[in-house]
Amino acid sequence: MADGYSPNSEPTTRTLLRRVLDTADSRSPRRPRSIRAGTQRTLLETPSPRRRSSQRKSTARRHSHGTRSVSRLAHTQASRHLDEQTPRTLLKNILLTAPESSVLVPKSVVKPAPAPPVVQPPRRESSRGSLELQLPELEPTTSLAPGLLAHGRRKQRLRLSVFQQEVDQGLPLSQEPPETAGASSLTSSLNLTFATPVQPQSVKRPGLARRPPTRRAVDVGVLLQDLRDTSLAPSGNSLRTPVATVPTDTVLEDTQPFSQPLVGRSPSVHHSLPHPSHNETEDTEKAVDHWTQSSQPGLQNDKPHPWPAAPPEVTESMGSQGAVEAEESDVSSGDEDPSGRAASPAMASRTPSFLQAEQPPPFLEPTPRPGAAVVSSEPVLARRPPRPRAAGPRPRQDPHKTGLNHYAKLFSFYAKMPMEKAALEVVEKCLDKYFQHLCNDLEVFAAHAGRKTVRPEDLELLMRRQGLVTDQVSLHVLVERHLPLEYRQLLIPCAFSGNSVFPAQ
Amino acid sequence: MAEEEAEEQQRFSYQQRLRAAVHYTVAALCQEVASDKGMPFSKQSVAAVSEVTFRQCENFAKDLEMFARHARRSTINTEDVKLLARRSNSLLKYITEKSEEIAQFNTEQKAKKKKKLEEGNKTLEAAEVVESES
Repeated sequence: MADGYSPNSEPTTRTLLRRVLDTADSRSPRRPRSIRAGTQRTLLETPSPRRRSSQRKSTARRHSHGTRSVSRLAHTQASRHLDEQTPRTLLKNILLTAPESSVLVPKSVVKPAPAPPVVQPPRRESSRGSLELQLPELEPTTSLAPGLLAHGRRKQRLRLSVFQQEVDQGLPLSQEPPETAGASSLTSSLNLTFATPVQPQSVKRPGLARRPPTRRAVDVGVLLQDLRDTSLAPSGNSLRTPVATVPTDTVLEDTQPFSQPLVGRSPSVHHSLPHPSHNETEDTEKAVDHWTQSSQPGLQNDKPHPWPAAPPEVTESMGSQGAVEAEESDVSSGDEDPSGRAASPAMASRTPSFLQAEQPPPFLEPTPRPGAAVVSSEPVLARRPPRPRAAGPRPRQDPHKTGLNHYAKLFSFYAKMPMEKAALEVVEKCLDKYFQHLCNDLEVFAAHAGRKTVRPEDLELLMRRQGLVTDQVSLHVLVERHLPLEYRQLLIPCAFSGNSVFPAQ
Repeated sequence: MAEEEAEEQQRFSYQQRLRAAVHYTVAALCQEVASDKGMPFSKQSVAAVSEVTFRQCENFAKDLEMFARHARRSTINTEDVKLLARRSNSLLKYITEKSEEIAQFNTEQKAKKKKKLEEGNKTLEAAEVVESES
């Protein structure tokens, strides 16, 4: 009993609430009320350490203490009160009743037993008006709070008066409901808490703004333009070569960053972004969906880690993984708002555009229109026809940069040092090559397995080669470490009800 | 526990022997190159090259196994080797040429074998016929 629950001390609302909450844990409102009432009555009669022998020691102790304060009240009230004794109701009771009795005439509080139902309603009504909580059960409330306040009213009064003054002064107050149970102060505090406006979470770091709005418009227009260009150019063939041929000549040995095959590739990469290609990409969509969806959040999570270590070449570091995922997701999230879903099918269209030589880019042109009819794409579409094709290399180079612009900005953000523009450009160049290399690998892996679609197995193989996935660390482990829960369940098969496993294997 | 240690030691000694073999070959090659270019190799550099070669061989082996498993095969193929070598263009070219040569050679071998078999069969048949006739 000496656990701080000495019955002689003034049971403040706080202690009582604590007791109540503790008791409430062991109880469930489902229990037969008779038993509770019976036990409560017995406790009332014999509050003693003997109760410890009951099942729940602590609760019994608290019961005894609580009941002592309660015992002053009518038994009927106690039983009635206890019938609904869930923590919620008790708290409500305290909230409701405590203020009323304290500030007002204390003597009337002393006799709660006979006249609580009579006394309470008028008081309650007085406070109820100010109360915003429309609590259902106000009748049985009475009991606890007045009894409590009868004891601790002095302290509480002091507190309350001060509190009320503060409230009146309009200071923003956090809700301290039961402890500082003041009559009108409490209710007004309640009002206050309800009324305090939630401060809008402003973006404190504008550098973290992920999607600069201007980029979108440029992207679409430029990319659509390049879409046309690439349809004419014989590019892309270098990308779809089988293993035996040597497509990497241009990538590896070509010092010029934006030679023809590269150009052919990346615009198709970017242009496929806002244009969900509906043709023959359904299976790829499904296959790549998981990938992109996993990569998108992977972007957000992995960015801090891999970024400082993001080397241009395929290296065995988290950077490569994060960069990969970042790139895919960035490319897909470039136009996220208008084409959030279009991102993943666009990602899917990307791989088949590489792998399937016969997929003509013009096919994508009609399909972009419905897809690109979202938001900002429309004015760009109008802009597209008049743009002269003669401005070849310029708009072609842009999509390279704009896609990686985002990464360069992040890079400069995390570098913690001001970066020269030339350095940023170099970073972009390196990222470009790196991602092309990576996607080449993926394509080759898929072809190696006799497939035309890039599947998660290819990605796992890639990560193995990068050294991210080892014999000790499996892909699932990495997924669990770095991806948020929603994406994890897309990647790691999970059994759901009805014997269904998602994602279906 | 002791067995594990013994195993480990065995493995380690085996590795050392392999390393020694690699080192020997690398040294021989370096000697050739040195005489070619007229610039000798220091011992440390040769040792470094051989160590690097050894470790790369380990990596290659793992990668090849991964590639084969990726293609759902249990045998490492020339395709796997080509996939491994695709990074270096010249190496890839060389390997593809060699593989084509080998393929040709194999087909030729098969053709020869077939011919031999056919001839053998013919002679056998002829012998049988002769026997049956006689």
